[in-house]
Amino acid sequence: MAKSDDCMRILQGLLVFGNVVIGMCGIALTAECIYFVSDPHGLYPLLEDTENNDIHAAAWIGIFVGFALFALSILGIIGIIKSDRTLLLVYIILMLITFAFEMASCITAATHRDFLTPNIFLKQMLERYQNSEPANNNDKLMIEGVTKTWDKIMLQNHCCGVLGPSDWQEYTSAFRVTHSDADFPWPRKCCAMDEQGLPISLDGCKLGVPGYYNSDGCYDAISGPMNTHAWGVAWFGFAILCWTFCVLLGTMFYWSGIEY
Amino acid sequence: TMLPLLLLLLPAAHGIVEHVAYTPFLTKTPVLEGLTTGSTFVLEQPRCVFDDKYSNADIWLVVALEKTATAFNNTVAPGTPASAFQNFPDSVPAYMTLNATLANYPCPKASGEITVLRVGSETSCTEDVARPTCNGPLSGPGPYMVKFLALEGSEPVAETDWSTPIMLRTAKSPNSISTTDEGHSAGMIAITTILSILFAILLAGLVAMLIFWGSDTCGGSSPFSKPEAVTVRRYNTHHVYDQPAARL
Repeated sequence: MAKSDDCMRILQGLLVFGNVVIGMCGIALTAECIYFVSDPHGLYPLLEDTENNDIHAAAWIGIFVGFALFALSILGIIGIIKSDRTLLLVYIILMLITFAFEMASCITAATHRDFLTPNIFLKQMLERYQNSEPANNNDKLMIEGVTKTWDKIMLQNHCCGVLGPSDWQEYTSAFRVTHSDADFPWPRKCCAMDEQGLPISLDGCKLGVPGYYNSDGCYDAISGPMNTHAWGVAWFGFAILCWTFCVLLGTMFYWSGIEY
Repeated sequence: TMLPLLLLLLPAAHGIVEHVAYTPFLTKTPVLEGLTTGSTFVLEQPRCVFDDKYSNADIWLVVALEKTATAFNNTVAPGTPASAFQNFPDSVPAYMTLNATLANYPCPKASGEITVLRVGSETSCTEDVARPTCNGPLSGPGPYMVKFLALEGSEPVAETDWSTPIMLRTAKSPNSISTTDEGHSAGMIAITTILSILFAILLAGLVAMLIFWGSDTCGGSSPFSKPEAVTVRRYNTHHVYDQPAARL
């Protein structure tokens, strides 16, 4: 009996420790997801326009799941120390529900990250950037969002187009409708700028002389933060869930060992 | 009799156009992103091509389509409807533009200088018939051929070879960009399968727990007693002390 007692005491200790870790990870998950939702790189308008911003939704779920994990871990610790069967049963069931939500968030983040290929952004940029004929008011807002975001990306990251300035030459675009090919082989924002925000040499930029225009594509600048966002939610959530799985199995084991 | 013969020869000699062995080409250095666009292209300037004896001549650029190049006549005067940009390619086989003198093309070329001629850069005069020598953007993808022609007054005196055909870029529609799913990454598949398995195990565990509610499980042969269990009063029995005595 003493030996079984010891085993249970060890299990109790381990479970408390496990719950402490879950609680801390829950807070970390909430913080991480709040950071992603706040959109520090300003890329949300691009996502919003693709009508596939489920990565954003996954981050929102992450915020609430993190908080739930923290609250439930406290409940778990109390239940284990008191060895209360009802409390632990409630804990297990609520944890399973939280597990299911977090699972959904991870899978959503991973799946929708795969959806965001260079082609999606290329097509969006060609069809939306500086489009002068919006279909309706909502369209107009989307177009403005996309245009402003692209201008900001191209200026800050010294890049042009998704794969390069030749994107603007290889494909027709909404931009091309209002800006002639001879005057604007690519948008002005692709030119190397001076301190006042004006092109250093407009002729150099139009000719495509190295040093006077941005020759890199912007895809790396877009996919970098987006990858961090998606994998941050997906893999961190996955790690938490693996740990939670172990703690829950231990709790179920412990629960069944409590004298009724 | 020699005199009339000489007089006959002189006008003929006056009409000979010197053929300069130079083929116009697109700029090779530096490598330009906009070497050819949808409506423009960039030629290397004809430096050290024409002799100094043409320092008074106007050097014009003749732009034609590959199929109309042979129809161009050197005697066509620049700045007339027969060589106007606005009439090309509908009614004239070629147009003349970008006139310069040898002073604009000093020889030798200073090192590090970018010496280019951008054909198609003037967008303001495309419709202006008062500007027949407009260097306007080209309307089709070509292929185009160009040559340089030196004129003294209105007489052609030297010309270069026709260039090789220059093809401009054609733009595709964005609808041709395929955005269909390119498959799922390994990471996503791993996450989905492993999490599904874990969740299934937990659900099974929950079900097992509820089914065996209250009964002994593999937790141990004796159930773990709660700390607030009834405290058992310790008491001494005679048995404990008598037993060893009995054995003796």
